[in-house]
Amino acid sequence: MMNRLLHLENLNVKDTHNHELVKGVSLDLYEHEFVGIVGESGSGKTLSVKAALHLLPNDLGVTFEDSEVLGKSIIDLSDHEKRRLIGSGIGFVPQNTVAFLHPMIKIKHQIGDAFIYHTKANKKEALQKAEELLVKVGIKEPKRVLHSYPVQLSGGMKQRVNIAMALMTDPKVIIADEPTTALDTVVQKQVMQLFNDLYTNDGVSILFISHDLKIVKRFCNRIYVMHEGKVVESGYTSEVFADPTHSYTKKLLRLIPSLKSGRTRRLG
Amino acid sequence: MLNFIVKRLFSGLVVLFFISLVTFIVLMWIPGDPALLSLGTDATPEKLAELRESMGLNLPWYEQYYQWLTGFLVGNLGNSYVFGEDVFTLLVQRLPVTISLAVLSMAIAIPIAIVIGVLSAIYKEQWIDYIARSVMQLGDAMPQFWLALVFLVFFSAGLGWFPVAGFTPVEEGFFASLHSILLPSIVLAIGQIGPLIRIIRSSMLSSLEQDYMLMTSVNGFTKFRSIGKYALRGAIIAPLTIIAMQLAGILGGAVLVESIFALPGLGRLLLMAVEQRDLILLQGIVIFVTGTVVVVNMVTDILYQIVNPMIRFGGSHE
Repeated sequence: MMNRLLHLENLNVKDTHNHELVKGVSLDLYEHEFVGIVGESGSGKTLSVKAALHLLPNDLGVTFEDSEVLGKSIIDLSDHEKRRLIGSGIGFVPQNTVAFLHPMIKIKHQIGDAFIYHTKANKKEALQKAEELLVKVGIKEPKRVLHSYPVQLSGGMKQRVNIAMALMTDPKVIIADEPTTALDTVVQKQVMQLFNDLYTNDGVSILFISHDLKIVKRFCNRIYVMHEGKVVESGYTSEVFADPTHSYTKKLLRLIPSLKSGRTRRLG
Repeated sequence: MLNFIVKRLFSGLVVLFFISLVTFIVLMWIPGDPALLSLGTDATPEKLAELRESMGLNLPWYEQYYQWLTGFLVGNLGNSYVFGEDVFTLLVQRLPVTISLAVLSMAIAIPIAIVIGVLSAIYKEQWIDYIARSVMQLGDAMPQFWLALVFLVFFSAGLGWFPVAGFTPVEEGFFASLHSILLPSIVLAIGQIGPLIRIIRSSMLSSLEQDYMLMTSVNGFTKFRSIGKYALRGAIIAPLTIIAMQLAGILGGAVLVESIFALPGLGRLLLMAVEQRDLILLQGIVIFVTGTVVVVNMVTDILYQIVNPMIRFGGSHE
């Protein structure tokens, strides 16, 4: 039996008006897995993952039967232990469209913070590691990037910095929340390749949220399909794609543009 | 950057010119005769005419203004009717009082406002927040002249902790000087704290909701660390503007407080100039105050650029 790195059972999330946002969602991520969560905006993908990492604000009503992170049941842990476990064991790569990097702090002053905090390393060691990781994620001038503010970097560069930052603590799990949104297709491809390398070469397990079925089909070995706050279908990617059972999945799959349709001309 | 400073200085000069012109015209229209005021009501008409002649008061207003302006351009602010002294000297004499008041009152207001503002943002809608907001309302609602009088009666006259009036120059000892302006500074600070808390609280609230704060949670930082390094950094821009405006306001003369505590500062000088219809002195003070505001605003804009890389590098906030 492979190690279970993330486990969430029967998650329910209600907003302040008692609307059900997530209904009875259960998720698992095992070692050596690249798992995708697909669904349209508002289907509860991000909420579920944030709930698994205990990142949801307190005013949302969050209930679940069980929640494990890296084999430890979260319910038994103190706040401090929770922070340590998640902060050092899980890397989070956010959407690129918003300011997850602090706009007023230079990259070098924020990239190593988690590493320093969790490993008690000094600043010099952190910067050295950051430089190595920036090179690894395909940045050619790591020193220049380290001395920049986020605003001085392009979208693709920022996303690489986000990934490098997530890798600083050598996490076993990377959770990526639509990490290729707002990137052009070339950069998108490079970023996906990067995730794939981390998965195949470094043995990092990846939980990948996306609404892009093409990407999910190509990279993920298992998927969850979410619709209106519920997981409507889950299983090995090849099986789900070959034989979808839920009507929503079928509809989704029909939306994938196919080469056969001959409609791949670029617009404009 | 240099280009920017030159541009700002130029626009500042234009502002100064218009303000000086407007003050001059307005004061010309107000009834009252400086010559009569300085000689007294029992002066003979001949003497009055003589004095008017020597003061240049019988010239049309634009000629008087022209004379003042040409003097100003060569660095001569003219002589005060009342004091008979060079206006520049009078300003320089009063300046230490006003600057000490401004610096001390801001030094009291800023740290208190930061602590209260930040705490009330972190503990939004909890008892700390409610107390902070009440303090804020209270500070805003109390008229400064009233507070000054109450403090004077209670702390100076009653308890005898502070001098009732007057200013001790720094030359006679730093602490003695500090002691002499502490009470007025506290009164001024109480007036500044309300708006400051409000702006710090709201910019802190918006900073706490930014996505970078989510990352600090993902990274497992303690609340203290994520607030101290990330939230605060994101919340300094807006309060900077208010602080600059308040500083410029006090430097422009805290008329009420200086009058009540009998402090020989710019505010009192301003009041005297108006009461005595001392046009030249008033003109000098107004120019000085406007100049201060222009310079403080310019320094604030430069600070913005230093503090906020988004302005400095001209990028957009995605």
